[in-house]
Amino acid sequence: MGDALLCVRGLKVGFPTVDGVVKASNAVDLTIQAGETLALLGETGSGKTVLGMAILRLLQPNTRIEGEILYRGRDLLSLPQEEMQKIRGREIAVVLQNSGTSLNPVLRVGDQIAEAITLHRGLKGAEAEAAAVELLERVRIADPARMAREYPHRFSGGMRERALIALALACSPSFLIADEPTRGLDAVTKHEILALFSEINRGRSVLFITHDIEAAATLATRVAVMYAGEIVEIGPVDAVLSSPAHPYTRGLLESLPARGMRPIPGSAPSLIAPPSGCRFFPRCSCSVGRCETEHPGLVPVGPGHCARCMLYD
Amino acid sequence: MPGRNAALYLSLGVVLVYCAVALFAPVIAPFDPFVISGPPLAPPDAAHLLGTNDLAQDIFSRLIWGTRATLILGFLGAVVSVVMGTTVGIVAGYYGGRIDEAVMRFLDVMMTIPFFPLLLVLTIFLRPGIYVTAVIMGLLGGLGSVRIIRSQVLSLAVADFVVGTKALGARDGYIMARHILPNVLPLVGVKFVTSAQHFMLVGIGLGFLGMGDPNVVDWGQMIERASKNGGIVLGLWWWLIPPGLAVTGISLALAWFAYACEERINPRFQVMRV
Amino acid sequence: MAFGISVTIMFVILHLMPGDYITLYLEGIYVIAPPEVVLAYNQAYGLDRPLIDQYFSYFLGVLQGDWGYSLSYSRPVLDVISEKLVWTLVILLPATILSIIAGIAIGAYSGWRRGSKADVTLLNGMIFLRAIPSYWLALMILLVFAFYLDLFPLGGYVSLSALDTGIDLLDVMNHAALPIFTLFFFSVTGTYYLMRNSMLMTAGEDYIVTARAKGLDDMTILRQHALKNAMLPMVTRVALQCAGMLTGSIFVETIFSWPGIGMLTFEALQVRDLPLLQGILLMDTLIVIVANIGADMIYPFVDPRVEVGSDARA
Repeated sequence: MGDALLCVRGLKVGFPTVDGVVKASNAVDLTIQAGETLALLGETGSGKTVLGMAILRLLQPNTRIEGEILYRGRDLLSLPQEEMQKIRGREIAVVLQNSGTSLNPVLRVGDQIAEAITLHRGLKGAEAEAAAVELLERVRIADPARMAREYPHRFSGGMRERALIALALACSPSFLIADEPTRGLDAVTKHEILALFSEINRGRSVLFITHDIEAAATLATRVAVMYAGEIVEIGPVDAVLSSPAHPYTRGLLESLPARGMRPIPGSAPSLIAPPSGCRFFPRCSCSVGRCETEHPGLVPVGPGHCARCMLYD
Repeated sequence: MPGRNAALYLSLGVVLVYCAVALFAPVIAPFDPFVISGPPLAPPDAAHLLGTNDLAQDIFSRLIWGTRATLILGFLGAVVSVVMGTTVGIVAGYYGGRIDEAVMRFLDVMMTIPFFPLLLVLTIFLRPGIYVTAVIMGLLGGLGSVRIIRSQVLSLAVADFVVGTKALGARDGYIMARHILPNVLPLVGVKFVTSAQHFMLVGIGLGFLGMGDPNVVDWGQMIERASKNGGIVLGLWWWLIPPGLAVTGISLALAWFAYACEERINPRFQVMRV
Repeated sequence: MAFGISVTIMFVILHLMPGDYITLYLEGIYVIAPPEVVLAYNQAYGLDRPLIDQYFSYFLGVLQGDWGYSLSYSRPVLDVISEKLVWTLVILLPATILSIIAGIAIGAYSGWRRGSKADVTLLNGMIFLRAIPSYWLALMILLVFAFYLDLFPLGGYVSLSALDTGIDLLDVMNHAALPIFTLFFFSVTGTYYLMRNSMLMTAGEDYIVTARAKGLDDMTILRQHALKNAMLPMVTRVALQCAGMLTGSIFVETIFSWPGIGMLTFEALQVRDLPLLQGILLMDTLIVIVANIGADMIYPFVDPRVEVGSDARA
């Protein structure tokens, strides 16, 4: 294990709505080492994206955020806006979900990439343009010089995903957040994108947000499982996927087609008024009495492997 | 934004006050708006709160009575416009196909003829009373509503609950009345308020251009008289200003009311992906 | 094409009306018009011929520039209108251009900073301004700036001295200032609303988040990424607003005695000169159609998703 590059401590995120505050992240602790790929697994609505966006401070201004996000020892949450802008794109970059709508439709793809290069690397005009073409080539877009001059609507889904990856790589960030990069892609394209990631992840810290266990298994060194705004299990990829400790992780694995496709009964709880005890309790098959009232902490279940469950308390 | 509810209730209150004034005009107004009530062009005093005009009619009484014309023009016009807009919009959007195509083509052409100049020409020909004017405005102005409601219905017509109900064998009329209409009602409500405001301004504008119904008192004709017969040159503010303020007041109240309603039904608050 | 259909519809509307314009006009001159006068007028204007004949001669006439004969000016309608059109454009064009620029700029800022103090103030101010009837606004501006403050002339387009010295550009501009100012206020609110709404939509788009994630600052994102997207729907909407501007100019020109189409409309109304009114309506329609065609032609150049020459709009 290397040094901690990013360290999230006690992160709480709440969105005020007319019905109450949506608590999308509840006291999340997470450490990402230099050079490792951490996969953040969870269903839609579990708070994975929020965590990624909170790191870059890209959540809406009225969002309530508590806790610390330390990047190389500096708390990102208390940085002035200008300092944060210097980190975005240059130090920490993101590949957003929804590749279809994440590129500006009225600007040429090459210009959108060149913009980041000009901003952070100081290259201007033709130089920035050439660097953008180079990046497109690196993410294996055919005929990159021509495609750089095209508008996003000329790109297919897989190509847009690649363009977004090229954009994120524009300034060789030390930390990359990839938010569901394989969502909505067909199987062939998905495998190509995963292969691309395993190539670019080398020597870089990556937070790989996904609901796709297969993708996590391919790319990650460690896995964190999120449920209802909490990390319920975290550990080395082999340990978590081969001997899952938390009943929710087990449920996720059993719902895979290869393992019987048994879905977890019930549905994810409301994040406005989550269950008072264990948040997974209402759907859990192995709950004990105090699960209903006591909120479990993360306890070690193996080397570097922790789970948030009463069974191990 | 704080005070959104306050704006809603305050503007509604103002509208209700105007309605009450219109309803009780005979009680509130001290004089018959058409009779000679004293010396002409008198400045305000205890008997004539806003003085008299060049025909020696009491300006305050005319102002009170003028509320009726304004509300009739606005609300009757809005009823016609909204009923037509909703009916045609729902039918066109729900059936789609040729009916929709025909309606839209017709609208495209009609929309190129500017509303107000066309209204002027029709007014010259028909010399309508105030009620007919309101209906004409409603019909012409309703064309815009058709378009808006139709595009809303277009997306509703393929919504799951509509398709589902259709699959159960429900008749078209039933689906339109029971499933589609309630869904467009909030939009129709806002459209009603904004149309009423628009038609009041237009109706009074007609009066201002001398196209008003000579048998009723309306604020537009009052402003026209005042500006034509020396209100500006002589600086007779009590003659010129009150009717304009009265229009601006109701127009403002309706505009704010519509805006507050719109914010309510369409708060556009976007919680980011969780 | 669209113009042809509009002309037809207008002809139908006008001939469905009870009475005809000769009767209406003569009512303004005689208490009871002598039958031989009515007959003479009817023959002169071709009203004694079958309707279908009238329609074709009217339609062809319109296409050839024969828009009828003004009863009150005793001149061809098109002559009168085109003479006045110039003066209308003198105030309409600057007012339109100014209001588009200002409306887009403040609307974009307001929408981008949604919920901020600046946005709330601007929005409430615009709601207020929009609710004031244009004729009332014009009267008040005239009263304050021309009558009480005496900064501008009360009306007209040139000073009396122009009779000796000829038309002086500065003098005309001085007369045009208040009408332009009023028309500007009348139309800027519409542009502001549209732009603010459009910006609210744009500000929530994913590519704006992408731009933020690049490390761009707020105002750069507004200029480089949000503005162009938010302005796309404006192209078509501004053309639609054109009709509103024409209506506004009727009141503004009448109040400021500006000798354009708007005041001509008012004069035609006073004397019930129907051929002239009909011609004005036709000209207004033509202006709206031209504005729409212009917008359709510009659109493919600003939105890369629409190919030049196709009319599909995203």
